Amino acid sequence: MSDERFENAKREMEQLVVDSLKNYKAPVGAFFTNLKEATKAIASGAIRWSRKNSLWPMQFGLACCAMELMDFGASRIDAERKGYLLFRGTPRQCDVMIVAGWVTKAVAPEVKRLYEQMAKPRYVIAYGECAVSGGPWWESYNIIKGIDQILPVDVYVAGCPPKPENLFEALMKLQEKVGGKIED
Amino acid sequence: MLTKINVGPIHPSTHGVLRLVVTLDGDTIVDVEPHIGFLHRGVEKLAENRMYMQSESYMEKIDYVAPMAYSDLYVAAVEEATGIHPNERAKYVRLILLEFQRIASHLLWLGTFCNDLGLMFTMFTWTLKDRDLILNLLQDVTGSRMFYVNMRLGGVSIDLPPNFEEHANKLLDYLEKRFKEYEAFLEKNPVFIERTKGVGVLKREDAIALGVTGPVLRASGVNFDVRRDYTYYAYEKLHFIPQIQTKGDSFARYKVRMQEMKESIKLIRSALKLIPEGDALGMPIKLISPPVKEKEVIVRRELPRGEGMIFMVTDKQRPYRLSLRTPAFINLSALKQIAKGASYADLFSILGSLDLVMADVDK
Amino acid sequence: MKINKEELIKKLKELSSSGYNYLVKITAVDYIDHLEVIYFIRNMQNKKEENVRLDLKNGESLPTVIEIYKAADYYERELSEMFGIAIEGREVKRLLLEKWDGLEAPLRKSFQWGSDYKSG
Repeated sequence: MSDERFENAKREMEQLVVDSLKNYKAPVGAFFTNLKEATKAIASGAIRWSRKNSLWPMQFGLACCAMELMDFGASRIDAERKGYLLFRGTPRQCDVMIVAGWVTKAVAPEVKRLYEQMAKPRYVIAYGECAVSGGPWWESYNIIKGIDQILPVDVYVAGCPPKPENLFEALMKLQEKVGGKIED
Repeated sequence: MLTKINVGPIHPSTHGVLRLVVTLDGDTIVDVEPHIGFLHRGVEKLAENRMYMQSESYMEKIDYVAPMAYSDLYVAAVEEATGIHPNERAKYVRLILLEFQRIASHLLWLGTFCNDLGLMFTMFTWTLKDRDLILNLLQDVTGSRMFYVNMRLGGVSIDLPPNFEEHANKLLDYLEKRFKEYEAFLEKNPVFIERTKGVGVLKREDAIALGVTGPVLRASGVNFDVRRDYTYYAYEKLHFIPQIQTKGDSFARYKVRMQEMKESIKLIRSALKLIPEGDALGMPIKLISPPVKEKEVIVRRELPRGEGMIFMVTDKQRPYRLSLRTPAFINLSALKQIAKGASYADLFSILGSLDLVMADVDK
Repeated sequence: MKINKEELIKKLKELSSSGYNYLVKITAVDYIDHLEVIYFIRNMQNKKEENVRLDLKNGESLPTVIEIYKAADYYERELSEMFGIAIEGREVKRLLLEKWDGLEAPLRKSFQWGSDYKSG
């Protein structure tokens, strides 16, 4: 007898939650069986939205592509208006590592160590042809041919050097990967 | 009791990738030892495997702050070897573009030097805005923002557009006003004066014995400039005067570069009045390996950082040996002597005033 | 001017005391059975330049000129690791290459492209 009463209450509770979630664009085919899963879904959606709109990059300019990174943060092509502010010096406070410039055999252990010092979740962008595949120096005796031989890469940007507007598009693609599609 | 400090390879104040091991006694520097080689990729060996005009774009990536000066140095070496020389109008066009490149390179140096001293990001944003305007003007002429590859055998790839003179004169008037503001901001500033006057003194005999070059040499009182002593293009007709200071400290090195920027504006203005009519185009780029006549070639140019020299031994289709002398390599080796006896906070003022680009040091 | 290896120090001392006091570059060219080492020096008063050449057989060592010109420090270190020349008279340390023991000197003509992959 008491189970029947509780089952009625459960059914009414579900109906209340489903009614209140009618304005929320849930993915097709999903349904919530109790309140715990519903709050988990809303909370993770909120966390994903806030993570993708405030990516903090780490300055890692090694060579010529670092000139374009400096222009990206300066006043004509502004990086702060989209949330990528505060190029920091230490890796503990950053989310994204933008590798710009060619990597030789002497610098490679330092790059790996800096990547392991970043806190999770962390992402890597390979900017410029030297970081993508070795670039113009592919025949040299002292160069690592592409940064993806030592690190896992998310977005590749081609060009020598790519214009700073290309870096905007690369960061917007990374935002799609981090938190779902960008709303207009 | 001596302590050792490691100023590591990836650091916001070293311009590039440089490692310094500093030995201190209290607060006074006893010894500085630089470790370099983090950006070495063997350009001299790679050029032996390419034909002549294919390695012009390699030379631009050696110094990425002023790339047109290096490609002009290399193409001049090939021109001496083949005997194809530029005509009168091409000499004036090259001179105008190279002097604009010199102003852009010194503006970037000024921005990052003030970053190191503590005037954080004010001069950096101002000078990067002016440098962006110059790069836009060069993009109208050559088609690219950073790596131009526009020097050809006997001229340039695209001639000056028809309304270049009024755009250039408007830009030069704007730059003259900005230089007056920079001087008024910096030369009465007590922070700047305290950190640069009397810091890192290099005497005249030491400067010649250590082999330094460029504005570092001219700030110590030595009267030497490649544009006047081994003259090239049209510098003689435009009455060029090198700028000298005698004290030898960081403030003198700053003052030499500031005066050089103003001298470049005067040179561009008088070159735009005296430029002759004609055609400044060079050989097309399809001629990768021109017929070579000389066996050994030596060329010198005045780059924004100092004096650069190429010594080339030629073969039929590719160079047999290409030997480069870059100015930042030998300027860094003088750091050990200049910094002895200074306090630790002065190390970055000295390092910034030498104007190093690390890809220039490890070729 | 072309001289022998034994008169190098005497000739440079004579030139540097007569006004040629600025060293521009020390470089070398690899002709396969011998090397040619060239010193570029310059007079700062009347702006003239002079180059001193000498021939070196494979395996010979070069005397150091650091007492005459202080600027020769970095040039000799670069030459000894790029061409494999031994410098007698002082201790030279590596400048540009790292972990390169046991492999061939890079700027020689007998260096094979791709032979550095064994170093890992």
